[in-house]
Amino acid sequence: MKGRLLFLLIVLLPAIFSCRNSASNNSQFVFPEADSIPIGEEEKLSTEAIEEIARNISSPVEIANLLQTLAVPFSQAYLASSIDPNKQSTSFDKAFTLGVLGADLGYLNMYEKTGSSIDILSSIRKLAEGIRVGQFFDFETIKRLSLNKSNLDSLLFLSIDSYTQIDKYLRDNDRGQLSALMIIGVWIEAQYLATQVMTEYPDPILRDRIGEQKIILNDLIMLANPYCNRDPEFGELCKDLQDIKQKYREIRITYTLGEPVSREVDGALVVEQTETSNVEMTDEQLAGIIEITKTVRNKLIANN
Amino acid sequence: MKRFFITLFIMLSAGFILTGQSSDPLVSKCVMNTGADAKYLKDFRIQLSKAPSAGEMRYKTQMSLWKNTKYKFSMCTADDSPGELILTLKNDANQVVLSSFDSKTGKTYKSIEFTCNRSGIYQLNYDFKDGQQGSGVGVVSMVK
Repeated sequence: MKGRLLFLLIVLLPAIFSCRNSASNNSQFVFPEADSIPIGEEEKLSTEAIEEIARNISSPVEIANLLQTLAVPFSQAYLASSIDPNKQSTSFDKAFTLGVLGADLGYLNMYEKTGSSIDILSSIRKLAEGIRVGQFFDFETIKRLSLNKSNLDSLLFLSIDSYTQIDKYLRDNDRGQLSALMIIGVWIEAQYLATQVMTEYPDPILRDRIGEQKIILNDLIMLANPYCNRDPEFGELCKDLQDIKQKYREIRITYTLGEPVSREVDGALVVEQTETSNVEMTDEQLAGIIEITKTVRNKLIANN
Repeated sequence: MKRFFITLFIMLSAGFILTGQSSDPLVSKCVMNTGADAKYLKDFRIQLSKAPSAGEMRYKTQMSLWKNTKYKFSMCTADDSPGELILTLKNDANQVVLSSFDSKTGKTYKSIEFTCNRSGIYQLNYDFKDGQQGSGVGVVSMVK
C-alpha cells in the first residue's frame, strides 16, 4: 500500500507542476470583469482585424536586434526601470506600463542584462497581477532562463509568448482597451528607445527605421480609436497619438521595384529582396519625432 | 527511501523544465529547432482539414517586416500530419515575394532565409501541400 502511494505521488507531482500553464488550467479561472467593456461599445473592428493590427506592431526585440547590429552599446538610461508598479493605481496605468516594461524586457533580454531584467520582471509580475493576467506570465521560469544566458531563444519565446497570451486573453474577455494600451505601451517605449539612441548614435539605418514607423502608425491609432471617448485618460492618449501622427505627416516612403533573387544553400532556400523602400525625412522632421516621442512617453510614465 | 527521494527529485525537475516550454510540444520543438543564430519573433499554429478543391492558400495572416533585417521562416509539420506545411509570402502590393513550395520542381523547403529590403506589412499564407489535411507550425525568427 505504502509502495503504491509513493508510486502515485511520483507520477502525479510532475504532472501537476508541468501543467501549470496549460489552457485548461486557465479556463477554470473566472475573473470579475469590473473593467470590461460590453462588446457593443467597441467600434467596428473585428477580432481578426485587432489581432492583425497587434501583429503588425514591430516587436521591441527587432529594435533591440537592430541596435546590436549597429554596435550600439547597452544603456540603462533609456529604460523606464524607475517605474514603481505600486504607484500604478488604475487599470489604464497598469496596462500601459506593462507594455512599456515589456519593451524594456525585450531590450534587456537581447543584451543579456540579466540582473536588470530580474528587477523589471518583478514589476511586470505586479502589474500583470494588478490587471488579473498574472497567470499567463511564468515568472519563475523566465527568471531562471534570464539567469541562464545560454538559453536566449527560450527566454525570448517565453517572454513574447506570455505577452501574446495576455493580449489574447484580454481581447477574448472584452477587455480590449487594456490589450490596446499594452500594445501602445510597447510601441511607444520601443520608439523612445530608437529615437533616444538616434540622438546619441546617429545612423542612417536607424533613421530609416524611425521614419518607417509611419507604416504602422495608422494601425496603432485604429487600435486606440474605439476607446478614445471611454475616459479622459484614454482621450488624452488618443490626442498624443494624433500629435505623433502629425509629425509623420510630411514624411514620404517610396519604393524601388525589383524581383526577389532566390538560391538554395545547404538545402535551405535563401531569398534576397531587391525591391527597396526609401524614407524621405528631413533632419527637422526627425527632430520633431524625437521630441514628441520623448514628451509623450515621459508624460505617460510621469506618475512614478 | 533514499531511492524514492532521488526519483522524486528527478521527476520534479522534469516537470520544472517542462514549464519552460509552450503547452504545445510542436510549437516548442519548432522554435527550438530554428537554429542557434535565430531569434524567435512569432509563431502560427495551423490546423486545416482537406480542401474541397485546390486553390488559394487557406491560412492567412500578416505581420510587419523591416528593411535591413534577415528573417527566417520555419515550417514544421506534425509527425502524423498527412499534408506538409507550405508558406507563400506576399508584399503589401499582393505580389509573391517567396514560396516554400517550388511548383516547377515539386520541392518543398522547411526553412527560408529572407533578407528584407522593403519595410511593410506582409501577408503570410500557409496551407498544406495539395490542399491536404494537416497540422503544423510556422515560426518567424530573426537571423543575425
